[in-house]
Amino acid sequence: MLSTASVAARAPCGIGASRRQQRGAAARGRRQFCLVRAAKGDVLLEIHDLQAKVAATGKQILKGVTLTVREGEVHAIMGKNGSGKSTLSKVLVGHPDYEVTGGSAAYKGVDLFELEPEQRSHMGLFLSFQSPVEIPGVSNIDFLRIATNARRKAAGEKELDPLEFYAHVMPKLEALNMDPAFLNRNVNEGFSGGEKKRNEILQLACLEADMAILDEIDSGLDIDALRDVSKAVNGLKSQQQDMGILMVTHYKRLLDYIRPDYVHIMQEGRIVTTGDMGLVDKLEESGYSVLSSSA
Amino acid sequence: MASALAQLQGCAQLRLEAQHAPSSRCVAPAQRAVQQRRLQRRGGSGSAAPAAPRATAVAAAPAAHVAAEDKWIERTLEAVVPDSASLPAPLASLQSGCLSALATARMPTTRNEEYRFTDVSPVLQAALAPSAGPAAAPAAALDAALAAAGMREAAAATVVVVDGQIDEQRSSLGGLPQGVYVGGLAGAPQDVVSFALGAQSRARGGAFALLNGAAARDALVVHIPANLTLSGSIHILYLSSGAAAEAAGQAALAAPRLLAVLEEGASAEIVEEFASLAPADGTASTAGTATASKDGPAGYLTTAVAEFELDDRAALKHSYVTLEGANAAHAKSTLVNQGTESSYSLTEVRVGGRLTRHDLSIEQLGEATQSQMRSFLLCGDGQLHDLHSKLKLDHPQGEANQLHKCIVSSPSGRGVFDGNVKVNRLAQKTDAQQLSRNLLLVPRATVNVKPNLQIIADDVKCTHGCTVSDLEEEELFYLKSRGISADVARQMLVYSFGREVVQCLRDEALQARVEAAMRRTLASFTGAAQ
Repeated sequence: MLSTASVAARAPCGIGASRRQQRGAAARGRRQFCLVRAAKGDVLLEIHDLQAKVAATGKQILKGVTLTVREGEVHAIMGKNGSGKSTLSKVLVGHPDYEVTGGSAAYKGVDLFELEPEQRSHMGLFLSFQSPVEIPGVSNIDFLRIATNARRKAAGEKELDPLEFYAHVMPKLEALNMDPAFLNRNVNEGFSGGEKKRNEILQLACLEADMAILDEIDSGLDIDALRDVSKAVNGLKSQQQDMGILMVTHYKRLLDYIRPDYVHIMQEGRIVTTGDMGLVDKLEESGYSVLSSSA
Repeated sequence: MASALAQLQGCAQLRLEAQHAPSSRCVAPAQRAVQQRRLQRRGGSGSAAPAAPRATAVAAAPAAHVAAEDKWIERTLEAVVPDSASLPAPLASLQSGCLSALATARMPTTRNEEYRFTDVSPVLQAALAPSAGPAAAPAAALDAALAAAGMREAAAATVVVVDGQIDEQRSSLGGLPQGVYVGGLAGAPQDVVSFALGAQSRARGGAFALLNGAAARDALVVHIPANLTLSGSIHILYLSSGAAAEAAGQAALAAPRLLAVLEEGASAEIVEEFASLAPADGTASTAGTATASKDGPAGYLTTAVAEFELDDRAALKHSYVTLEGANAAHAKSTLVNQGTESSYSLTEVRVGGRLTRHDLSIEQLGEATQSQMRSFLLCGDGQLHDLHSKLKLDHPQGEANQLHKCIVSSPSGRGVFDGNVKVNRLAQKTDAQQLSRNLLLVPRATVNVKPNLQIIADDVKCTHGCTVSDLEEEELFYLKSRGISADVARQMLVYSFGREVVQCLRDEALQARVEAAMRRTLASFTGAAQ
């Protein structure tokens, strides 16, 4: 599984021209490798023609999204507000506000929509929420420990007692430049935007996910926080090279820190273009209108 | 009404005398007359009372009959009012005041707006008897209850009050700094007691507060001198033996009373914890519910009064916790006067008891006061918890913050809340916030909530809000998305809902007791314990 491509993916920055060509080749060959082991790694997440609507209003948001993420790949989704990026990420983890109306999504070969949200988490699927809720009265460390133990239990590993967990979480906290006082505060209660995002990534680190969906982890972050959060994600990725990442973002600056292998542009509930960082540069120059003219 | 008239006519003669009698009480002359007659009838000489010289003109008569309009009050007073001769002087005068007010008072019914959703009639069916007191309570049970409570080491003082009377043997008051008084009326600073005892409850207390004044046998007095900061809390454990001493359809009445006076710049922390002496408390809750419903209203009634006088810049942290038995009725009045720049912070947690009612009244006597109220009420099977709070602001720059949280976890449970904040014309620049959050966990669970602001001043910042819901979908989903199962997630959220208030108690042992009681109450909802 450690092909040259995935080794290259370890380096967070500096995608060389040769690598980009490799990517392009892999992208072209993606379809035919769907069912066999690809050079890059196993298919982690395969979304096919996914359609979904808002349960309460019936408004159709996703109108046929097709996307495949393999182990070790980093994908980025960009697109205008309201194009369905966040909906896609929430649908994948089973948010009750949305109803799947068509298509399929398989994670590690299992139909995602057959699984409860907690089962998806046990299998290593993780969503970093765009705006995580505050839960007054639940301390962060209890929450992290219960969540970590739920995952460990599902994986047949030994659960950690409070002391063991403390030892488990401290290095992760340091990697994120987080004050240990965080642990004793209530989950997200009174956290600043940056603190909430750090806390999401801390959860990602504790849960040791195999597939991370990061929904706008750059929104509301100052420059230092963005660097810390990106560094932590890259650090996790280097420890666990098979981890697949799907990032939703509006801005290139995040992608400068966490280099994507593929960039997808979403429009009106579909992925309309797929490319690499070159596509991002083009967008930065002339906005999303360039797509409609070229499409 | 007719009987009241007759009564007043009957004592017209006395009324004349009464008008000449020097009295520090602001009782109407007519009432004073009745008061005097009451003293005669009860045969109380009360000559030791400096504040009640009128009691001297009395011919001894047997305490056979106490007249009151309300039959239940009459019967109850006959049974529970102690001989005023046996009381310390200030209490005797308080008693006579309360008796005269009770003569024309009626116990509330659901036709009274204040009790519209709180039906106290089950309590009023019971024949009450005075409760046993510390001497009669089984020593073993007392010691067991104390051990269970595991009083905090860091407490500056612990006071054990059994059935409204201080159990001096089991209290520990040794560690108090010079000048601080904590104890019964007998040794209390007279000036403090004479100006403050009963002053607020007379003006703003309801029927249950009057009943307390009539039935109280002692009052616990806390006095903190000026500019003294008491480190550690004063932990008051009120134990009711009622559940144990219950006999032949009679319910025991306990009337504990607290008066706390904080002089200028003083600060202290007072914890009031109410518990019952029921044997094997751990299992009593569930078993108790079943027996209580079969036996009807028998059980016990605690009617407690706490008066707090905060002088300028005084700061009081007040915790109030009820963990009483499942057959307990509990009526509590908390009355607070706040001087300039004083701060009062209440953390209230009510889990135990079948019917509990808290009347909280805070009045501002100077500007720039801070008042904080946090309440958590958990209503399980057949439980009703009622909070009526009144905050009256008459001076500028007051800050008030109220958070009321209530969980109803059973179809037969009910929560009642009426939170009134009154911002009068002079209370400019007031900053008042009020939020009521209610969680109904099962179908047919009920809350009646009425957070309300009355604002007359025109330059204020006031907000209030109310939510009634099941658990937040969004929070549940967040936990589930982190691999936490739906059941555990629901449990976590239910406990956390209350913990937001419970964790403000700051005493870990007390928090643990509260959480154990919460677990028992929620057992029917959450299934197995966490």
